Amino acid sequence: MNLWRAPLPSLLAVLTIGLSLFLGASFILGVFAARALLTSWGAQASVTLYLDRSTTDEQARTLAQTVRVENPSLQVTYVDRTMALQRLRGDLGDLAGALEGLSQNPLPPSLELSPRTALQPSGVRMLAARLEQLPSVQEVDYGREWLDKLEALGNGLRVFGTGALAIVLGAALLVVANTIRLAVYARRDEIEIMKLVGATDGYVRAPFLLEGALQGLLGAALALGAVEAVRRWLLPPASHAFAFASGAVAPHLLPVHAAALLGIGTLVGLFGSWLAVARFLRA
Amino acid sequence: MIQLFHVKKAYPGDAPVLDDITLRVEKGEFVWLTGPSGAGKSTLLKLLFCAESPTSGQILIGGRNIGRIGQGSIPYLRRNIGVVFQDFKLLDNRTILENVGYALEVLGASDGEIRERSLKRLAQVGLDHRATSLPRRLSGGEQQRVAIARALVNEPTILLADEPTGNLDPGLTDSILKLLFDANARGTTVVVATHDRTLLSRYRKRTVALDKGKLVSDA
Repeated sequence: MNLWRAPLPSLLAVLTIGLSLFLGASFILGVFAARALLTSWGAQASVTLYLDRSTTDEQARTLAQTVRVENPSLQVTYVDRTMALQRLRGDLGDLAGALEGLSQNPLPPSLELSPRTALQPSGVRMLAARLEQLPSVQEVDYGREWLDKLEALGNGLRVFGTGALAIVLGAALLVVANTIRLAVYARRDEIEIMKLVGATDGYVRAPFLLEGALQGLLGAALALGAVEAVRRWLLPPASHAFAFASGAVAPHLLPVHAAALLGIGTLVGLFGSWLAVARFLRA
Repeated sequence: MIQLFHVKKAYPGDAPVLDDITLRVEKGEFVWLTGPSGAGKSTLLKLLFCAESPTSGQILIGGRNIGRIGQGSIPYLRRNIGVVFQDFKLLDNRTILENVGYALEVLGASDGEIRERSLKRLAQVGLDHRATSLPRRLSGGEQQRVAIARALVNEPTILLADEPTGNLDPGLTDSILKLLFDANARGTTVVVATHDRTLLSRYRKRTVALDKGKLVSDA
Protein backbone atom coordinates (compact mmCIF):
# COMPACT_ATOMS: atom_id res chain seq x y z
CA MET A 1 0.00 0.00 0.00
CA ASN A 2 1.59 3.21 -1.21
CA LEU A 3 -1.02 5.69 0.00
CA TRP A 4 1.49 7.48 2.21
CA ARG A 5 4.20 7.66 -0.44
CA ALA A 6 2.21 10.21 -2.44
CA PRO A 7 0.06 11.79 0.30
CA LEU A 8 -0.95 14.99 -1.51
CA PRO A 9 -2.68 13.48 -4.57
CA SER A 10 -4.25 10.87 -2.28
CA LEU A 11 -5.53 13.54 0.08
CA LEU A 12 -6.89 15.50 -2.89
CA ALA A 13 -8.72 12.40 -4.10
CA VAL A 14 -10.20 11.77 -0.63
CA LEU A 15 -11.33 15.39 -0.35
CA THR A 16 -12.85 15.39 -3.83
CA ILE A 17 -14.74 12.17 -3.22
CA GLY A 18 -15.84 13.54 0.15
CA LEU A 19 -17.07 16.80 -1.35
CA SER A 20 -18.86 15.09 -4.25
CA LEU A 21 -20.59 12.60 -1.99
CA PHE A 22 -21.44 15.35 0.51
CA LEU A 23 -23.17 17.31 -2.26
CA GLY A 24 -24.93 14.17 -3.50
CA ALA A 25 -26.03 13.11 0.00
CA SER A 26 -27.19 16.63 0.87
CA PHE A 27 -29.21 16.72 -2.31
CA ILE A 28 -30.83 13.37 -1.58
CA LEU A 29 -31.62 14.42 1.98
CA GLY A 30 -33.07 17.67 0.64
CA VAL A 31 -35.38 15.70 -1.66
CA PHE A 32 -36.31 13.36 1.21
CA ALA A 33 -37.08 16.34 3.43
CA ALA A 34 -39.15 18.04 0.73
CA ARG A 35 -41.15 14.87 0.15
CA ALA A 36 -41.63 14.41 3.89
CA LEU A 37 -42.90 17.98 4.04
CA LEU A 38 -45.36 17.34 1.22
CA THR A 39 -46.51 14.20 2.96
CA SER A 40 -47.03 16.08 6.19
CA TRP A 41 -49.07 18.67 4.36
CA GLY A 42 -51.07 15.82 2.85
CA ALA A 43 -51.59 14.40 6.32
CA GLN A 44 -53.03 17.68 7.49
CA ALA A 45 -55.75 17.50 4.86
CA SER A 46 -58.93 16.32 6.52
CA VAL A 47 -61.80 14.53 4.82
CA THR A 48 -65.39 15.52 5.60
CA LEU A 49 -68.32 13.26 4.81
CA TYR A 50 -71.55 15.23 4.46
CA LEU A 51 -74.48 12.99 5.23
CA ASP A 52 -78.04 13.11 4.04
CA ARG A 53 -80.04 15.61 6.09
CA SER A 54 -82.53 12.90 6.95
CA THR A 55 -79.83 10.74 8.60
CA THR A 56 -80.70 10.13 12.24
CA ASP A 57 -78.22 10.53 15.06
CA GLU A 58 -78.15 6.79 15.58
CA GLN A 59 -77.53 6.06 11.91
CA ALA A 60 -74.76 8.68 11.83
CA ARG A 61 -73.07 7.26 14.95
CA THR A 62 -73.29 3.73 13.52
CA LEU A 63 -71.72 4.97 10.31
CA ALA A 64 -68.98 6.73 12.26
CA GLN A 65 -68.26 3.50 14.11
CA THR A 66 -68.17 1.57 10.82
CA VAL A 67 -65.66 4.06 9.39
CA ARG A 68 -63.54 3.85 12.57
CA VAL A 69 -63.42 0.05 12.44
CA GLU A 70 -62.62 -0.07 8.75
CA ASN A 71 -60.05 2.74 8.97
CA PRO A 72 -58.21 2.52 12.28
CA SER A 73 -55.73 5.12 11.05
CA LEU A 74 -58.44 7.78 10.93
CA GLN A 75 -59.71 9.89 13.75
CA VAL A 76 -63.49 10.16 13.20
CA THR A 77 -65.59 12.95 14.72
CA TYR A 78 -69.34 13.07 14.31
CA VAL A 79 -70.72 16.62 13.92
CA ASP A 80 -74.49 16.67 14.21
CA ARG A 81 -76.63 19.35 12.60
CA THR A 82 -76.95 21.42 15.78
CA MET A 83 -73.22 21.43 16.38
CA ALA A 84 -72.64 22.33 12.73
CA LEU A 85 -74.92 25.35 13.09
CA GLN A 86 -73.21 26.38 16.33
CA ARG A 87 -69.84 26.23 14.59
CA LEU A 88 -71.12 28.27 11.69
CA ARG A 89 -72.49 30.79 14.10
CA GLY A 90 -69.15 30.96 15.84
CA ASP A 91 -67.31 31.28 12.53
CA LEU A 92 -69.57 34.09 11.35
CA GLY A 93 -69.07 36.08 14.57
CA ASP A 94 -70.83 39.45 14.27
CA LEU A 95 -72.64 38.29 11.15
CA ALA A 96 -74.22 35.38 12.99
CA GLY A 97 -77.47 37.38 13.24
CA ALA A 98 -78.06 36.56 9.59
CA LEU A 99 -78.81 33.00 10.66
CA GLU A 100 -81.71 34.10 12.89
CA GLY A 101 -84.01 34.43 9.92
CA LEU A 102 -83.70 30.79 8.97
CA SER A 103 -86.85 28.77 9.54
CA GLN A 104 -84.88 25.54 9.97
CA ASN A 105 -81.29 24.32 10.24
CA PRO A 106 -80.06 23.97 6.64
CA LEU A 107 -76.81 22.19 7.55
CA PRO A 108 -76.35 18.47 7.10
CA PRO A 109 -74.74 16.23 9.71
CA SER A 110 -71.17 15.25 8.89
CA LEU A 111 -68.27 13.00 9.82
CA GLU A 112 -64.87 14.68 10.05
CA LEU A 113 -61.96 12.36 9.38
CA SER A 114 -58.33 13.18 10.16
CA PRO A 115 -55.51 10.82 9.30
CA ARG A 116 -53.47 9.92 12.40
CA THR A 117 -50.45 9.09 10.23
CA ALA A 118 -49.18 10.79 7.10
CA LEU A 119 -51.13 9.99 3.97
CA GLN A 120 -49.94 10.54 0.41
CA PRO A 121 -52.35 12.65 -1.71
CA SER A 122 -53.17 9.57 -3.75
CA GLY A 123 -54.08 7.76 -0.52
CA VAL A 124 -56.46 10.57 0.48
CA ARG A 125 -58.08 10.44 -2.95
CA MET A 126 -58.62 6.67 -2.76
CA LEU A 127 -59.99 6.97 0.76
CA ALA A 128 -62.49 9.62 -0.39
CA ALA A 129 -63.59 7.47 -3.34
CA ARG A 130 -64.18 4.52 -1.00
CA LEU A 131 -66.10 6.55 1.60
CA GLU A 132 -68.29 8.07 -1.09
CA GLN A 133 -69.87 4.62 -1.55
CA LEU A 134 -71.10 4.44 2.05
CA PRO A 135 -74.85 4.74 2.67
CA SER A 136 -76.17 8.18 3.69
CA VAL A 137 -73.03 9.90 2.35
CA GLN A 138 -74.04 12.69 0.04
CA GLU A 139 -70.79 14.43 -0.57
CA VAL A 140 -67.13 13.98 0.31
CA ASP A 141 -64.96 17.05 0.71
CA TYR A 142 -61.22 16.52 0.90
CA GLY A 143 -59.70 19.62 -0.71
CA ARG A 144 -59.40 18.00 -4.10
CA GLU A 145 -57.71 20.98 -5.78
CA TRP A 146 -55.17 21.38 -2.99
CA LEU A 147 -54.33 17.69 -3.08
CA ASP A 148 -54.04 17.68 -6.87
CA LYS A 149 -51.54 20.53 -6.69
CA LEU A 150 -49.69 18.82 -3.87
CA GLU A 151 -49.48 15.61 -5.85
CA ALA A 152 -48.29 17.40 -8.99
CA LEU A 153 -45.62 19.07 -6.87
CA GLY A 154 -44.58 15.69 -5.43
CA ASN A 155 -44.38 14.13 -8.89
CA GLY A 156 -42.39 17.07 -10.22
CA LEU A 157 -40.01 16.82 -7.29
CA ARG A 158 -39.52 13.10 -7.92
CA VAL A 159 -38.75 13.60 -11.62
CA PHE A 160 -36.51 16.60 -10.94
CA GLY A 161 -34.84 14.77 -8.04
CA THR A 162 -34.09 11.66 -10.08
CA GLY A 163 -32.72 13.65 -13.02
CA ALA A 164 -30.66 15.99 -10.88
CA LEU A 165 -29.36 13.10 -8.78
CA ALA A 166 -28.20 11.28 -11.92
CA ILE A 167 -26.38 14.43 -13.03
CA VAL A 168 -24.80 15.00 -9.61
CA LEU A 169 -23.62 11.38 -9.34
CA GLY A 170 -22.37 11.32 -12.93
CA ALA A 171 -20.43 14.54 -12.38
CA ALA A 172 -19.07 13.19 -9.09
CA LEU A 173 -17.84 10.03 -10.80
CA LEU A 174 -16.11 12.02 -13.54
CA VAL A 175 -14.46 14.35 -11.03
CA VAL A 176 -13.38 11.43 -8.87
CA ALA A 177 -12.05 9.41 -11.81
CA ASN A 178 -10.04 12.41 -12.97
CA THR A 179 -8.73 13.14 -9.50
CA ILE A 180 -7.63 9.55 -9.03
CA ARG A 181 -6.13 9.68 -12.50
CA LEU A 182 -4.02 12.59 -11.31
CA ALA A 183 -2.95 10.53 -8.30
CA VAL A 184 -2.07 7.63 -10.57
CA TYR A 185 -0.34 9.96 -13.02
CA ALA A 186 1.89 11.13 -10.18
CA ARG A 187 3.02 7.52 -9.91
CA ARG A 188 3.35 6.70 -13.60
CA ASP A 189 7.09 6.07 -13.16
CA GLU A 190 6.31 3.43 -10.61
CA ILE A 191 3.85 1.76 -12.97
CA GLU A 192 6.40 1.86 -15.78
CA ILE A 193 9.03 0.24 -13.57
CA MET A 194 6.59 -2.36 -12.27
CA LYS A 195 5.82 -3.35 -15.84
CA LEU A 196 9.48 -3.29 -16.73
CA VAL A 197 10.42 -5.82 -14.06
CA GLY A 198 7.66 -8.18 -15.15
CA ALA A 199 4.64 -7.28 -13.06
CA THR A 200 1.36 -8.56 -14.48
CA ASP A 201 -1.46 -6.10 -15.10
CA GLY A 202 -3.30 -7.54 -12.11
CA TYR A 203 -0.26 -7.03 -9.88
CA VAL A 204 0.09 -3.41 -11.06
CA ARG A 205 -3.61 -2.74 -10.74
CA ALA A 206 -4.24 -4.32 -7.33
CA PRO A 207 -2.60 -1.70 -5.07
CA PHE A 208 -4.18 1.15 -7.03
CA LEU A 209 -7.61 -0.46 -6.74
CA LEU A 210 -7.10 -1.00 -3.02
CA GLU A 211 -6.00 2.59 -2.63
CA GLY A 212 -8.91 3.83 -4.74
CA ALA A 213 -11.36 1.84 -2.63
CA LEU A 214 -9.77 3.13 0.57
CA GLN A 215 -9.80 6.70 -0.72
CA GLY A 216 -13.46 6.27 -1.67
CA LEU A 217 -14.27 4.87 1.77
CA LEU A 218 -12.43 7.69 3.54
CA GLY A 219 -14.08 10.27 1.28
CA ALA A 220 -17.51 8.77 2.02
CA ALA A 221 -16.75 8.81 5.77
CA LEU A 222 -15.77 12.45 5.42
CA ALA A 223 -19.02 13.19 3.57
CA LEU A 224 -20.98 11.32 6.21
CA GLY A 225 -19.33 13.34 8.97
CA ALA A 226 -20.00 16.59 7.10
CA VAL A 227 -23.67 15.75 6.53
CA GLU A 228 -24.10 14.85 10.19
CA ALA A 229 -22.30 18.01 11.29
CA VAL A 230 -24.54 20.17 9.09
CA ARG A 231 -27.65 18.39 10.35
CA ARG A 232 -26.64 18.80 13.99
CA TRP A 233 -25.11 22.24 14.08
CA LEU A 234 -26.21 24.20 11.03
CA LEU A 235 -29.81 23.10 10.48
CA PRO A 236 -31.25 23.87 13.96
CA PRO A 237 -30.35 27.59 13.87
CA ALA A 238 -31.74 27.80 10.33
CA SER A 239 -34.93 25.94 11.14
CA HIS A 240 -36.83 29.05 12.30
CA ALA A 241 -36.56 30.28 8.71
CA PHE A 242 -38.62 27.26 7.73
CA ALA A 243 -41.29 27.61 10.36
CA PHE A 244 -43.98 27.01 7.73
CA ALA A 245 -42.57 23.51 7.41
CA SER A 246 -43.30 22.61 11.00
CA GLY A 247 -44.40 19.05 11.30
CA ALA A 248 -42.07 17.90 8.54
CA VAL A 249 -39.65 15.12 9.43
CA ALA A 250 -36.15 16.55 9.95
CA PRO A 251 -33.75 15.00 7.42
CA HIS A 252 -31.46 12.45 8.98
CA LEU A 253 -29.32 9.58 7.80
CA LEU A 254 -30.52 6.12 8.71
CA PRO A 255 -27.84 3.42 9.16
CA VAL A 256 -28.86 2.00 5.80
CA HIS A 257 -28.25 5.40 4.16
CA ALA A 258 -24.85 5.68 5.85
CA ALA A 259 -23.94 2.18 4.70
CA ALA A 260 -25.11 3.00 1.16
CA LEU A 261 -23.02 6.18 1.15
CA LEU A 262 -19.91 4.29 2.30
CA GLY A 263 -20.60 1.60 -0.29
CA ILE A 264 -21.07 4.14 -3.09
CA GLY A 265 -17.86 5.92 -2.04
CA THR A 266 -15.90 2.68 -2.10
CA LEU A 267 -17.33 1.71 -5.49
CA VAL A 268 -16.67 5.15 -6.95
CA GLY A 269 -13.06 4.99 -5.72
CA LEU A 270 -12.65 1.48 -7.09
CA PHE A 271 -14.17 2.31 -10.46
CA GLY A 272 -12.27 5.59 -10.72
CA SER A 273 -8.99 3.78 -10.04
CA TRP A 274 -9.81 1.08 -12.56
CA LEU A 275 -10.44 3.70 -15.25
CA ALA A 276 -7.31 5.65 -14.34
CA VAL A 277 -4.95 2.66 -14.19
CA ALA A 278 -6.38 1.07 -17.34
CA ARG A 279 -5.14 4.05 -19.30
CA PHE A 280 -1.60 3.64 -18.01
CA LEU A 281 -1.60 -0.11 -18.51
CA ARG A 282 -2.55 0.37 -22.14
CA ALA A 283 0.21 2.94 -22.61
CA MET B 1 18.84 -16.69 -27.59
CA ILE B 2 17.69 -13.65 -29.61
CA GLN B 3 16.63 -13.89 -33.25
CA LEU B 4 15.18 -11.20 -35.49
CA PHE B 5 13.89 -11.94 -38.99
CA HIS B 6 13.25 -9.04 -41.36
CA VAL B 7 11.99 -6.86 -38.55
CA LYS B 8 10.50 -3.52 -39.48
CA LYS B 9 9.18 -0.83 -37.18
CA ALA B 10 7.45 2.22 -38.60
CA TYR B 11 5.13 4.86 -37.19
CA PRO B 12 2.38 6.27 -39.41
CA GLY B 13 3.58 9.14 -41.57
CA ASP B 14 7.29 8.67 -40.75
CA ALA B 15 10.15 6.81 -42.36
CA PRO B 16 10.75 3.36 -40.80
CA VAL B 17 12.69 3.51 -37.53
CA LEU B 18 13.93 -0.02 -38.18
CA ASP B 19 13.93 -1.60 -41.61
CA ASP B 20 14.51 -5.23 -42.52
CA ILE B 21 16.66 -6.14 -39.51
CA THR B 22 17.80 -9.75 -39.39
CA LEU B 23 20.02 -10.61 -36.46
CA ARG B 24 20.97 -13.55 -34.27
CA VAL B 25 22.52 -13.28 -30.79
CA GLU B 26 23.72 -16.51 -29.22
CA LYS B 27 23.28 -17.49 -25.61
CA GLY B 28 25.99 -15.99 -23.42
CA GLU B 29 27.11 -13.53 -26.08
CA PHE B 30 28.03 -9.87 -25.45
CA VAL B 31 26.97 -7.53 -28.24
CA TRP B 32 27.48 -3.82 -28.73
CA LEU B 33 24.59 -2.21 -30.57
CA THR B 34 25.88 1.01 -32.02
CA GLY B 35 25.03 3.81 -34.39
CA PRO B 36 24.38 7.54 -34.33
CA SER B 37 21.42 9.10 -32.54
CA GLY B 38 18.19 8.16 -34.30
CA ALA B 39 19.71 5.00 -35.80
CA GLY B 40 17.07 2.85 -34.10
CA LYS B 41 19.11 1.33 -31.23
CA SER B 42 16.64 2.15 -28.46
CA THR B 43 13.69 1.05 -30.59
CA LEU B 44 15.36 -2.28 -31.23
CA LEU B 45 15.86 -2.80 -27.49
CA LYS B 46 12.22 -1.81 -26.87
CA LEU B 47 11.13 -4.47 -29.33
CA LEU B 48 13.21 -7.04 -27.43
CA PHE B 49 11.54 -6.33 -24.09
CA CYS B 50 8.12 -5.93 -25.70
CA ALA B 51 7.64 -2.26 -24.91
CA GLU B 52 6.90 -1.93 -28.64
CA SER B 53 5.77 -4.45 -31.22
CA PRO B 54 7.22 -4.73 -34.73
CA THR B 55 5.27 -3.52 -37.74
CA SER B 56 6.38 -6.66 -39.58
CA GLY B 57 8.89 -9.47 -39.19
CA GLN B 58 9.44 -12.00 -36.42
CA ILE B 59 11.31 -11.82 -33.12
CA LEU B 60 12.23 -14.93 -31.15
CA ILE B 61 13.46 -14.73 -27.57
CA GLY B 62 14.66 -18.03 -26.12
CA GLY B 63 12.91 -19.78 -29.02
CA ARG B 64 9.53 -18.09 -28.38
CA ASN B 65 8.00 -15.92 -31.05
CA ILE B 66 7.07 -12.80 -29.10
CA GLY B 67 4.68 -11.69 -31.81
CA ARG B 68 2.56 -14.73 -31.07
CA ILE B 69 2.48 -14.67 -27.30
CA GLY B 70 -0.52 -13.01 -25.74
CA GLN B 71 -0.46 -9.69 -23.92
CA GLY B 72 -0.83 -11.58 -20.67
CA SER B 73 2.41 -13.54 -21.26
CA ILE B 74 4.60 -10.47 -21.73
CA PRO B 75 5.25 -9.92 -17.99
CA TYR B 76 6.53 -13.49 -17.70
CA LEU B 77 8.85 -12.95 -20.65
CA ARG B 78 10.15 -9.75 -19.07
CA ARG B 79 11.10 -11.62 -15.91
CA ASN B 80 13.86 -13.23 -17.96
CA ILE B 81 15.06 -9.91 -19.30
CA GLY B 82 16.86 -7.31 -17.21
CA VAL B 83 16.81 -3.76 -18.57
CA VAL B 84 19.13 -0.85 -17.72
CA PHE B 85 18.43 2.69 -18.92
CA GLN B 86 20.52 5.79 -19.34
CA ASP B 87 18.28 7.65 -16.85
CA PHE B 88 18.39 4.79 -14.30
CA LYS B 89 14.60 4.73 -13.73
CA LEU B 90 14.83 4.32 -9.97
CA LEU B 91 11.95 5.15 -7.65
CA ASP B 92 12.93 8.26 -5.73
CA ASN B 93 10.73 7.52 -2.75
CA ARG B 94 12.11 4.05 -2.14
CA THR B 95 15.40 3.05 -0.62
CA ILE B 96 18.15 1.45 -2.65
CA LEU B 97 17.33 -1.92 -1.13
CA GLU B 98 13.63 -1.51 -1.97
CA ASN B 99 14.46 -0.46 -5.53
CA VAL B 100 16.53 -3.58 -6.09
CA GLY B 101 14.00 -5.78 -4.31
CA TYR B 102 11.17 -4.46 -6.47
CA ALA B 103 11.90 -6.97 -9.23
CA LEU B 104 11.65 -9.81 -6.69
CA GLU B 105 8.52 -8.39 -5.08
CA VAL B 106 6.77 -8.74 -8.42
CA LEU B 107 7.76 -12.41 -8.54
CA GLY B 108 6.10 -12.96 -5.18
CA ALA B 109 9.30 -13.71 -3.25
CA SER B 110 9.18 -13.67 0.55
CA ASP B 111 10.43 -10.59 2.43
CA GLY B 112 13.42 -12.54 3.75
CA GLU B 113 14.40 -13.78 0.31
CA ILE B 114 13.97 -10.32 -1.21
CA ARG B 115 16.25 -8.81 1.43
CA GLU B 116 18.87 -11.50 1.17
CA ARG B 117 19.09 -11.55 -2.63
CA SER B 118 18.90 -7.77 -2.95
CA LEU B 119 21.71 -7.27 -0.44
CA LYS B 120 23.79 -9.86 -2.28
CA ARG B 121 23.34 -8.00 -5.58
CA LEU B 122 24.06 -4.67 -3.93
CA ALA B 123 27.26 -6.18 -2.52
CA GLN B 124 28.24 -7.27 -6.03
CA VAL B 125 27.90 -3.69 -7.28
CA GLY B 126 29.65 -2.42 -4.13
CA LEU B 127 26.68 -0.59 -2.63
CA ASP B 128 25.45 -2.81 0.18
CA HIS B 129 26.53 -0.16 2.68
CA ARG B 130 24.06 2.30 1.06
CA ALA B 131 21.09 -0.08 1.22
CA THR B 132 18.92 2.28 3.28
CA SER B 133 19.76 5.42 1.31
CA LEU B 134 17.37 7.05 -1.11
CA PRO B 135 18.50 7.28 -4.76
CA ARG B 136 18.90 11.07 -4.68
CA ARG B 137 21.64 10.68 -2.04
CA LEU B 138 23.72 8.69 -4.53
CA SER B 139 25.92 9.84 -7.40
CA GLY B 140 24.96 9.10 -11.01
CA GLY B 141 27.41 6.21 -11.19
CA GLU B 142 26.07 4.73 -7.98
CA GLN B 143 22.49 5.06 -9.19
CA GLN B 144 23.39 3.22 -12.38
CA ARG B 145 24.99 0.46 -10.32
CA VAL B 146 21.72 0.17 -8.37
CA ALA B 147 19.82 -0.06 -11.66
CA ILE B 148 22.13 -2.85 -12.79
CA ALA B 149 21.69 -4.65 -9.47
CA ARG B 150 17.91 -4.41 -9.95
CA ALA B 151 18.17 -5.70 -13.53
CA LEU B 152 20.23 -8.68 -12.39
CA VAL B 153 18.60 -9.51 -9.07
CA ASN B 154 16.30 -12.19 -10.46
CA GLU B 155 19.09 -13.64 -12.59
CA PRO B 156 17.68 -12.97 -16.04
CA THR B 157 19.03 -14.82 -19.06
CA ILE B 158 19.21 -11.58 -21.06
CA LEU B 159 20.42 -8.14 -19.99
CA LEU B 160 19.61 -5.16 -22.21
CA ALA B 161 21.30 -1.83 -21.50
CA ASP B 162 20.38 1.39 -23.31
CA GLU B 163 23.27 3.87 -23.15
CA PRO B 164 24.07 2.78 -19.58
CA THR B 165 27.06 5.11 -19.35
CA GLY B 166 25.52 7.99 -21.30
CA ASN B 167 24.91 10.13 -18.22
CA LEU B 168 28.14 9.28 -16.42
CA ASP B 169 31.62 10.75 -16.19
CA PRO B 170 34.18 8.81 -18.24
CA GLY B 171 35.86 7.72 -15.02
CA LEU B 172 32.73 5.85 -13.93
CA THR B 173 32.15 4.16 -17.26
CA ASP B 174 34.67 1.38 -16.64
CA SER B 175 33.12 0.37 -13.32
CA ILE B 176 29.66 0.15 -14.91
CA LEU B 177 30.91 -1.82 -17.89
CA LYS B 178 32.78 -4.17 -15.58
CA LEU B 179 29.45 -5.07 -13.97
CA LEU B 180 27.99 -5.84 -17.39
CA PHE B 181 31.02 -7.94 -18.36
CA ASP B 182 30.78 -9.79 -15.03
CA ALA B 183 27.12 -10.60 -15.70
CA ASN B 184 28.10 -11.82 -19.15
CA ALA B 185 30.85 -13.95 -17.65
CA ARG B 186 28.23 -15.60 -15.43
CA GLY B 187 26.33 -16.65 -18.58
CA THR B 188 23.91 -13.78 -19.14
CA THR B 189 23.42 -12.68 -22.74
CA VAL B 190 24.14 -8.95 -22.81
CA VAL B 191 23.17 -6.39 -25.45
CA VAL B 192 24.43 -2.85 -24.84
CA ALA B 193 23.32 0.08 -27.00
CA THR B 194 25.84 2.91 -27.18
CA HIS B 195 26.89 5.64 -29.54
CA ASP B 196 30.24 6.01 -27.77
CA ARG B 197 32.79 4.68 -30.27
CA THR B 198 35.63 4.84 -27.77
CA LEU B 199 33.98 2.06 -25.79
CA LEU B 200 33.87 -0.14 -28.88
CA SER B 201 37.54 0.31 -29.58
CA ARG B 202 38.51 -0.14 -25.94
CA TYR B 203 36.39 -3.25 -25.35
CA ARG B 204 36.46 -5.34 -28.51
CA LYS B 205 33.28 -7.39 -28.73
CA ARG B 206 30.82 -8.26 -31.44
CA THR B 207 29.46 -4.96 -32.75
CA VAL B 208 26.20 -4.54 -34.60
CA ALA B 209 25.90 -1.14 -36.25
CA LEU B 210 22.66 0.54 -37.25
CA ASP B 211 22.17 3.63 -39.36
CA LYS B 212 18.84 5.20 -40.25
CA GLY B 213 17.07 2.04 -39.18
CA LYS B 214 19.15 -0.35 -41.26
CA LEU B 215 21.72 -2.85 -40.10
CA VAL B 216 24.95 -1.65 -41.74
CA SER B 217 27.55 -3.91 -40.19
CA ASP B 218 27.89 -6.90 -37.88
CA ALA B 219 31.44 -7.74 -36.90
